Amino acid sequence: MLMNRHDFLRQMSLLMGGVAVGVQGIPVRASAYNPWLINGSAPADTILVLVQLQGGNDGLNTVVPFENDIYYQKRPAIAIAKNSVLKLTDQLGLNPALAGFRELYHNAQLTIVQNVGYESPNRSHFRSTDIWLSGSDANVQEEEGWVGRYLQKKFPAYPVTLPQQPMAIQLGSVESMLLQSNVGSMGTVFDNPDAFYQLVKGTSNDAGALQNTLAGDELRFLNQVAAQSIRYSDVIKQKADAGKNTVTYPNTNLGKQLAIVADLISGGLTTPVYLTTLNGFDTHANQVTAGNTTAGLHATLLQTVSDAITAFQKDLTRQNLADRVTIMTFSEFGRRLNQNGTTGTDHGTAAPLFVIGKTVRGGIIGSAPNLGDLDPSGDIRFKNDFRQVYASVLQDHLGVSADTSQQLLGRSFETLPIFRQTSALEVTTGSFALGQNAPNPFVDTTEIQFTLKKAQYARLTVVDLQGRPLQVLRDGFHDAGNYVVPLNGTGLVAGYYLYSLHTDSGQAVMRMVKT
Amino acid sequence: MQVWNADSARHLLARCLFGYTRADLAKALSYPSAADFVSQELLADRPQPAPPASWVTERPVANDTMRSVRYTELTSWWLNRMLTEGTSLREKMVLFWHNHFVSDRAKVDYPQYMYQQNALFRQHVFGDFRQFTKEVSINPAMLIYLDGRQNNKNAPNENYARELMELFTMGIGNYTETDVRQAALALTGWRVDGLTAVFSKANFADVSKTLLGRTGNFTYADVVDIILSKDVVAEFICRKLYREFVYYKPNELFVGQMADVFRKASYSIRAVLQFLFTADEFYRPEYRGAKIKSPTELMIGALKGLGVAAPDLVYLGDMGRVLQQYLFYPPDVAGWPGQRDWISSNTYPARGGYSDSLINGRKSNGQTLPFRVNPLDFARSFSSSENAPLFVKDVLRALLAVDPPASREKLLLDTLLDGTVVTNWSTNTPNADARIQKFLKALMRLPEFQLT
Repeated sequence: MLMNRHDFLRQMSLLMGGVAVGVQGIPVRASAYNPWLINGSAPADTILVLVQLQGGNDGLNTVVPFENDIYYQKRPAIAIAKNSVLKLTDQLGLNPALAGFRELYHNAQLTIVQNVGYESPNRSHFRSTDIWLSGSDANVQEEEGWVGRYLQKKFPAYPVTLPQQPMAIQLGSVESMLLQSNVGSMGTVFDNPDAFYQLVKGTSNDAGALQNTLAGDELRFLNQVAAQSIRYSDVIKQKADAGKNTVTYPNTNLGKQLAIVADLISGGLTTPVYLTTLNGFDTHANQVTAGNTTAGLHATLLQTVSDAITAFQKDLTRQNLADRVTIMTFSEFGRRLNQNGTTGTDHGTAAPLFVIGKTVRGGIIGSAPNLGDLDPSGDIRFKNDFRQVYASVLQDHLGVSADTSQQLLGRSFETLPIFRQTSALEVTTGSFALGQNAPNPFVDTTEIQFTLKKAQYARLTVVDLQGRPLQVLRDGFHDAGNYVVPLNGTGLVAGYYLYSLHTDSGQAVMRMVKT
Repeated sequence: MQVWNADSARHLLARCLFGYTRADLAKALSYPSAADFVSQELLADRPQPAPPASWVTERPVANDTMRSVRYTELTSWWLNRMLTEGTSLREKMVLFWHNHFVSDRAKVDYPQYMYQQNALFRQHVFGDFRQFTKEVSINPAMLIYLDGRQNNKNAPNENYARELMELFTMGIGNYTETDVRQAALALTGWRVDGLTAVFSKANFADVSKTLLGRTGNFTYADVVDIILSKDVVAEFICRKLYREFVYYKPNELFVGQMADVFRKASYSIRAVLQFLFTADEFYRPEYRGAKIKSPTELMIGALKGLGVAAPDLVYLGDMGRVLQQYLFYPPDVAGWPGQRDWISSNTYPARGGYSDSLINGRKSNGQTLPFRVNPLDFARSFSSSENAPLFVKDVLRALLAVDPPASREKLLLDTLLDGTVVTNWSTNTPNADARIQKFLKALMRLPEFQLT
């Protein structure tokens, strides 16, 4: 796996006795780095939009293994015929209801992660949903969500001080466990910014001294929720008024939710996480229409998802907002390979999920499910732990360090190559940051990333361990932003190299390895 | 058992009814003990109410355009039962069972079935849980909602079998995936014809099944009997009752005692409720006011507290939906989780909007309601109405389960007086009605008003 910036600095400091060595042997201080603190201003306001597919989405009819005979044997009444599948590879294709997703896939804006699940899968909706929301192991009960824990790190002053803008927004009315932390609820929940504003107008919050009783506990909870409503209804309305939609969204529940999310992002709301929901995926019966497997409940649901997300993505792209936003779908489990007797499927285990945006590499991670090697219940064995996806989102999109990610998820999970990894770097001191090249070690080519918080002069140079310049990759005045610079190292002999970034506001040096 | 007085009676009524009137409280206190009141009022048998309309027995026909109108009618009918329940626990328990043996109006798209199920709940409300569970298992609405009608011997559908064990009887972790499949087999053979559940032997898996360690050619009734042979069932149900009536974090020791009573009484629901509502545990002072009202408790309770006898029931149904307790439509098969899940940044302010509307006689969107609280009549129904500080105290005591801090009581008094001095207060002073309105709105927007 790629070394991240923190690992690199740690190794460098071990190697170099606590300081990184600059060009010409002048030591430069590695930037003060606190893995527990997530910088609120950088990476430049990346946003995660979660789309929860409630009920257990049938993965096999979503991403269809159309060359797999077992798939067709076990699902004679509900399988998607090979000639209907929207082919992506020579093995896998999408349900024909996902036409919008195929287009995103071809534009490298959609990554499919295959066989996502966890050890000892639970087939209860409620238990498995809790596992997914909390990010726990199957045998551990937690009451906080993984996003709630992330937000708690990101906003350490909460609830003593409320951040300027909502920490998380959930479209709906009943707050999800996803946004709970052990300091309370981190989310603001509403279904319409205007209605929310009107609703909250008459509310006041006079948090008197509360007694230390069970009733007092509930009063404290109520006051905390009221405080968030009052604090945020204005800014939400203001941003919704300032923002806009540039496409017409489908007139579906999910379409409406995502239109609001795009409007708020467009208006400048910096809230890092949104949760949207679509339910109805518990397709025990009539998953497909008898005699026409491309129609039925599941096709309608998938089309709802695909059309709404496609519209959202188009809207963000037109408004030049797409670089910052990632959409991820998830569902508590997939469904059983064997169809049941009611043109449907019962609860299963691992399934594919989608990560969408200009932020992703695109493509398919993991192979088609192995239908010849099922678990004793006849369900697909998971290959990618769902927390690997979370770790990737946290580290490669939200800019969380590997240590923090490990802390949030309970242990270390290997990240998956979902993202382009061009999300801006954390600028913890000064006005620039230099990232670890990727891949590292590299064979022929690698990429070096740096982020400038303000416009300035910048020069990126590859040097040998003696500090002699070998290649100048960038030299000149740069706008504020995020840069990924390719390096062709075919002319370099195997070994250690350094690369340095000089800017108006200082310099940084990193090491890389060619093998 | 603690002493039976106004405090303990208020607590009992607050938990067992959807709010209560001052007359309800007086009636409760007319009984010599909690045990008498519980057995003779709360748990007493009452005649079954007349159905909402004659359509309840109509055979469903495809594309019936009346479904939505009738669902509204059915919802209004039930809300009216709750509003007029008097001192009976029945409707609270019907809602409890609706939230336990869940079905919903989206999937069960004919209101006839949901009425039928609601009537089944009312019939068994305090009855024999074993027989009740058997009848629920072949209840048409349930056969539709959890696909039992499509469960046949050739391709069993596990939906009902799983939820029967996970959510209706044992709880997760007490059965295996094999048990789910075997129970599904035993539950095969049922379909719905008109408003009736019909068994067809041809679709029944007429084979030996092994379920929870027992083997035989089991039917649906055997499945229930086998499941109910497990001690864990009584604990599961009693834990849920405890969470509903006492506190959302169960006292497991006491839940165990309830479960003992429940089992020894052969799963008599009435027996375990009588035990619960006369136990010291129920009346422990720390639980007072520690329950967050459900939307239905909030809505009906406010009406009773304010003395509104004839509200707009359709409006109540709509508000229930906004406040996330859409009757006949729980969020999923696990039902409404309750307590803190009722409250979000969206629903909490909406509760204030509801209580305002009762005073204003207008919905939040400005539409006029056909009813509103008459502030002067309300005030004068208290003997203390002309003594402002005393009046504030009395109203707080009538409408809140916990006393607010003195600072807040003072704030409410100031709201009522609105600049006049205490000695000048009278319900005859000009603008007294507007002041009482402001006072009531402020009171019902207190966080304490959310508790019961």
